[in-house]
Amino acid sequence: MHDQVRKYLRKLMAHGLIAHEADAQIYGLDDEIATNRDRVPAEVAALFRGLNINSLILARPEPRFWTVISSLAQEHADLIRPTDTESLTFIHDIPVVASFSRGEIIRALSRRKACIVRDVGLVTTGSVSLEQAFVAFSSVCFACFVKFFTDMLLGLSGIGGVPRPTTARMEQCADLLSQLEPTALRNTLSGRTPVGEAEILSAMDAAGKALLQASLVDSFFGNISFRDANLLYISQTGSSLDELPGHIDRATMDGSSCCEITSSSELSAHVKIYERTGHRAILHGHPRFSVIMSMAPGPLQFGQTRSMGDIPVVAGEVGAGSRGLVHTLPGAMQTHHAALVYGHGTFVSSETSFRDALDRLALIERTCFDECRDALRPPW
Amino acid sequence: MPYPFNLRCLRIDLGSRTHRLYTLGEDLSRSFLGGRGIGVAFLNASPTIDPLDPAAPLVLAVGPLTGSRIPSAGRMTFTAFSPLTSTVCSSSAGGSLAVQMRKAGIDVIHITGRATSRLCVLVSDAEVRFEDAYLPDEMPLSAVFERLAPFGGSVAAAGSAAFMGCLYASIAVDSSFSSGRGGLGLVMASKNLRALAVRGSGSAHHKACNARIEEEARTDIIRLFDASPVIRGRSGIAAYGTSSLVDLIATRRMMPTANFRRTFFEGYRAFSGPAIRGRHPAVHYACHGCPIACKQKASREIPEYETLSHFGALNENDDLDSIIEANRVCNETGVDTISAGATIACLAEIRGTRFTGESLVDAVRSITGHGREAELLRAGSARLARELGMPGASMSVKSLELPAYDPRGAYGMALAYGTSTRGGCHLRAYPIAHEILRRPVATDRFSFSGKARIIKLAEDLNAVVDSIGACRFAFLAASLEEYARGFAAVTGLDMDTQDLLRVGDVVYTLERHINTLRGFRRADDILPERFYTEPGSGGPDVETPPIDRGAYEDALDRYYRIRGCNPDGTLRAERVEGMIPCTTR
Repeated sequence: MHDQVRKYLRKLMAHGLIAHEADAQIYGLDDEIATNRDRVPAEVAALFRGLNINSLILARPEPRFWTVISSLAQEHADLIRPTDTESLTFIHDIPVVASFSRGEIIRALSRRKACIVRDVGLVTTGSVSLEQAFVAFSSVCFACFVKFFTDMLLGLSGIGGVPRPTTARMEQCADLLSQLEPTALRNTLSGRTPVGEAEILSAMDAAGKALLQASLVDSFFGNISFRDANLLYISQTGSSLDELPGHIDRATMDGSSCCEITSSSELSAHVKIYERTGHRAILHGHPRFSVIMSMAPGPLQFGQTRSMGDIPVVAGEVGAGSRGLVHTLPGAMQTHHAALVYGHGTFVSSETSFRDALDRLALIERTCFDECRDALRPPW
Repeated sequence: MPYPFNLRCLRIDLGSRTHRLYTLGEDLSRSFLGGRGIGVAFLNASPTIDPLDPAAPLVLAVGPLTGSRIPSAGRMTFTAFSPLTSTVCSSSAGGSLAVQMRKAGIDVIHITGRATSRLCVLVSDAEVRFEDAYLPDEMPLSAVFERLAPFGGSVAAAGSAAFMGCLYASIAVDSSFSSGRGGLGLVMASKNLRALAVRGSGSAHHKACNARIEEEARTDIIRLFDASPVIRGRSGIAAYGTSSLVDLIATRRMMPTANFRRTFFEGYRAFSGPAIRGRHPAVHYACHGCPIACKQKASREIPEYETLSHFGALNENDDLDSIIEANRVCNETGVDTISAGATIACLAEIRGTRFTGESLVDAVRSITGHGREAELLRAGSARLARELGMPGASMSVKSLELPAYDPRGAYGMALAYGTSTRGGCHLRAYPIAHEILRRPVATDRFSFSGKARIIKLAEDLNAVVDSIGACRFAFLAASLEEYARGFAAVTGLDMDTQDLLRVGDVVYTLERHINTLRGFRRADDILPERFYTEPGSGGPDVETPPIDRGAYEDALDRYYRIRGCNPDGTLRAERVEGMIPCTTR
């Protein structure tokens, strides 16, 4: 468990989810509690006694995330309901607890895997590994960030009954945006089409790391694939894109092997995109402003399409269900080789390599950031 | 208005042909919920009884979610002492028996006694008829179901194997489902009960206390099913049933082969999901209220993964037709396919032979045959191997044959086989979910690190799943978080995830306690020696060394501390206190 504690402390920092290692308390329990702290505080020991869990993270998120989360927690007394589809699917809602009260936290975490404790931070848990607590932590940060800006845009437009933001909130928002200006992408990926399994796996590894480096995806979200004739190399479900070696499945285009059962939820969509485009590489990220701007004009029903610039926006839920994005995304990708999925993320494909796919993904995100900033620029 | 959480119990005494319908106390109902929980509470009334004693109970129980709009929650549980293992044994079954019991207003059927001749018990709402079963013992189960079809409703029946004393005889439900493991069919047969049919005239729909929350929970669960590659993916179980696991388990080099002497079978593609679909296009069907529909039927039933693997790899047999036929014979005679395949493979190792193709089908048929070898086969691998002088050839824990995940390829699975309260079973903790299927997250399958607590928590969780009537597969996508919300909405009980897990802990710990009263100790939680001394079959990306016995024992020690056991596997005194449940009378 000590290895896991060290690993996820490192990842919280590397993913920009906390500002300093000292901001996080990480606990893993087998028969004894392992932690990054000198001792286990009584109130944390009480949480372990009150909950059937084996891992817990108590940490204050990085200041920009924490500003957003605190702000939402002020507005929503007990519960924050995310707006993006990934968070709605996997975390449903986020309980808000008024203070660090053992009883209140246990009550909240008896319903959900994560809660916000006002003025303290986030508490997240897992019952299998610390990875769950880490994913929940990252998910809450992402969900709140997206909801904060989406609500702001919808409120300004008077869409969906979202209240118009106050001037103070708008100023806070402008201040945040000034800190979030994306830096220019330093794309060091090779533009050459990889040949053979070793090169393909290496290219995927590099592309996964580059996606995270560029903040185009969070924690264990997103997926990535490369097609080589009938073989399709694809990241496994729930894999972290900065740790892809050993976590890439070899699926087949024709579905002749079931080994792909551990592949990304979006395997079927990737297959259909390759069938329609003849392309070789696909990147799928959850760039925050792309997700925000996909929702800014208001709800998009399943089957409807709209555009953001020349990029189509489609609706569809995660996976291959009857309302899954597998039914709407591939058609949109056929002509534009890039598409936004409403409230979810961006898909881009390339005829050759991950290099130009990453360029496009970053460009779309940059454009979305600019549009968001423009929309929120005074006068209000 | 909260759901009146007083389970209705129908007590049947076959010896006197009497019955009584009564209401269980709310404290008992709330403490054990239904399904497996209620079953073990009843077993605790006579914890050391012989499994085949007429007074030993056979308990059928539904879960509180049956009939609600919560998906994949229409299963029910048979509970009794196992004649194969002598442990507590609960075995979940699909089909429509649970919903018929609900329509009849019955949550629990408690059967004791022994009839003087073969009986069929026909339950129609509160009315119970005892009818002599004019059904020859050797009659195939499909014919039994056909004969009882005019009654309507749902039927559970014991097959010819049970009446011949097979220690791993199953109980067949609605012709296509079964309560497979542990020989509960023999318990039924020992009571001279050929079949139990239940039909209800009430509504199957269980009106929720809070319909809005119920609908929200349902939507959340369905959305998670749709997002799960294991469920709805192109190769998920909604597409291929559990045969979708064949390719994956084989390539992970953990498919038990040649009676667990190897962990890779070159011929696995012959019975993989796509191969079966190519040769036997099947239609899918489901248990009541389940949108996954993992069951498949072509001209004959398509076997589940465990059956494919054990009649295939474990017996080094790549003949798909013979696997399907062996499965059909088991279904017609009422035999657990896992134990059957493993017992035949054990005999093959001892004899230095192989049963493949038609000879495998013949071996399966001989389980209900005559003669010394047939008797040995009916006794299961542990007794067979002991009798033939090679006890180490039985790949079982507590005499229950291991299923189709080699423990050398998944150390959590290894530990869970040891600690399972019904013997070598994959379903009590199902660590394959995280060690192989990456659900809810992936864990290192070749490490015991953290596994003791993971297994304990998963055992508690699955005790809840079996007690509320839900399906394991649903939990490859959703979690107790969503089901607990649905449970509270349906029942009106103010119970959240942690409350339910506390029930799971009580159920599992009580099972372990009863087992210790029946003489089980640490030595019974140890795997067959082969797994500590012989490597599996490595592959291009993976080594499968023997399990380090010391590391296993360390993990077991940690598990005992977490579960509240002494080093010998018995429960600590303070853990036992308060475990004895309220009256079941």
